[in-house]
Amino acid sequence: MSDIKIKSKNLNVYYGDKQALFDVNLDLNEKEVTALIGPSGCGKSTFIRCINRMNDVIDICKVTGNIEIDGIEINDSNLDVVSLRERVGMVFQKPNPFPKSIYDNISYGPKIHGKGETKNELDEIVEKSLKKAALWEEVKDRLNEPGTGLSGGQQQRLCIARAISVNPEVILMDEPCSALDPIATAKIEELIDELKKTYTIVIVTHSMAQAVRVSQKTGFFHLGKIIEVGKTEKIFKNPDNKMTQDYITGRFG
Amino acid sequence: MSNEHTVKSYEEELQYLKDSVIKMGSLTESQMVDSIDAVIKVDKDSIDKIIKSDDEINKFRSKIDTQIMNLLVKRAPMAIDLRETISSLKISQDLERIGDLSKSNAKKVKPLPIDLPEELVGNLKRLGDLVIKQLNDVLDSYINKNFDKAKEVWEKDEQVDDLTYIAMESVIDFLSKDKKNLDFSTHLIFVTKNLERAGDHITNIAEIVCFLIKGEYLKGSRPKGKVIKE
Repeated sequence: MSDIKIKSKNLNVYYGDKQALFDVNLDLNEKEVTALIGPSGCGKSTFIRCINRMNDVIDICKVTGNIEIDGIEINDSNLDVVSLRERVGMVFQKPNPFPKSIYDNISYGPKIHGKGETKNELDEIVEKSLKKAALWEEVKDRLNEPGTGLSGGQQQRLCIARAISVNPEVILMDEPCSALDPIATAKIEELIDELKKTYTIVIVTHSMAQAVRVSQKTGFFHLGKIIEVGKTEKIFKNPDNKMTQDYITGRFG
Repeated sequence: MSNEHTVKSYEEELQYLKDSVIKMGSLTESQMVDSIDAVIKVDKDSIDKIIKSDDEINKFRSKIDTQIMNLLVKRAPMAIDLRETISSLKISQDLERIGDLSKSNAKKVKPLPIDLPEELVGNLKRLGDLVIKQLNDVLDSYINKNFDKAKEVWEKDEQVDDLTYIAMESVIDFLSKDKKNLDFSTHLIFVTKNLERAGDHITNIAEIVCFLIKGEYLKGSRPKGKVIKE
């Protein structure tokens, strides 16, 4: 059994008067992939946005309860959010490279976090990150071309390389493959499998098959509550909760 | 919350698959009834019909295979639907094997003398009746998703073993009385063994039904009766 990396305790999130999460208790294991599934609007994205305090940027958003990473409360007002986001990277649904060169896309993060002092150091980080994201071979001869010129699948891997470049501990992925074709999706999934050796990964997905393929643990959300969490194999073969069963078999959602 | 799929055609495909397994089961059952009856009554006229009915059963098997492949490709079934699909595949395999065994038994009728000893016939009939009942019960447990009934069938295979032992003894006894009986006694040994094998396939089906309902296999090994040395 892996160690717990992230622990949420009685987490509640409100957008103004509307409550989006209700007493969510969820443990995410270190160096494992946890998939979060559930119908649209069930709170899974809201939940992962709590892990790197992305909800801070929404004025009407209020968070109560706890989220701990390595046992340290991250909702503490004294916590440095910038360094939190350095530890917890994020990849979004639509690939969103900066309108800069491939090289600059990767080197930007390390630069602002003071991680690459010299050109040599940055070169090394760029190469290492692109290699880890399985993109190096495809782009090594055109690092100065714009990132936005790559294909959708390559752009998404570029975003993953960008997330990796600051050497995070956790990577959050919010439907990372929903805009990609099956081959690009397969590449990302293979990459996730490789990345989990180094990082703790949380992935939100609407594809049941993808959740089965990439994750070891699955959590099912419904109307802001966590309904069932368990080993992925168990959830998809023989879930305990009828609502989980009805959702994954396509009987409601 | 409804129990129906959002996609209605998916629901229909699953139902169609279950219906196919049930139909195949009922064909297998009547073929088995006919073949045991043919042996007991040494009814040589029914042999062809029984052999022919096996073609029908085999056709169902390939039809079910196709349905399952389509379901897997089109729907990627999960949880209960996945178990339903996989169970149909496995049950249809066991039913097909049972069909083969009934066909094999029908073929053994031809060389049999009309005046088989009463005790021998009685013992074979008791074994045959029990195997038919087991098949009927296991199909019932599949249709009604009855876990207890499936488990009961699984446990009762012990009795099939016992009756097989008794029937086999009476065949050997008959054989040892007169060497002239050797030829058709050999056939009767096969018939008895085939019925025992059918019992094993029925036990497999019972295990699959339990898995289908609860999502896990029965623990431990099933109770075994007297075993005939191979």
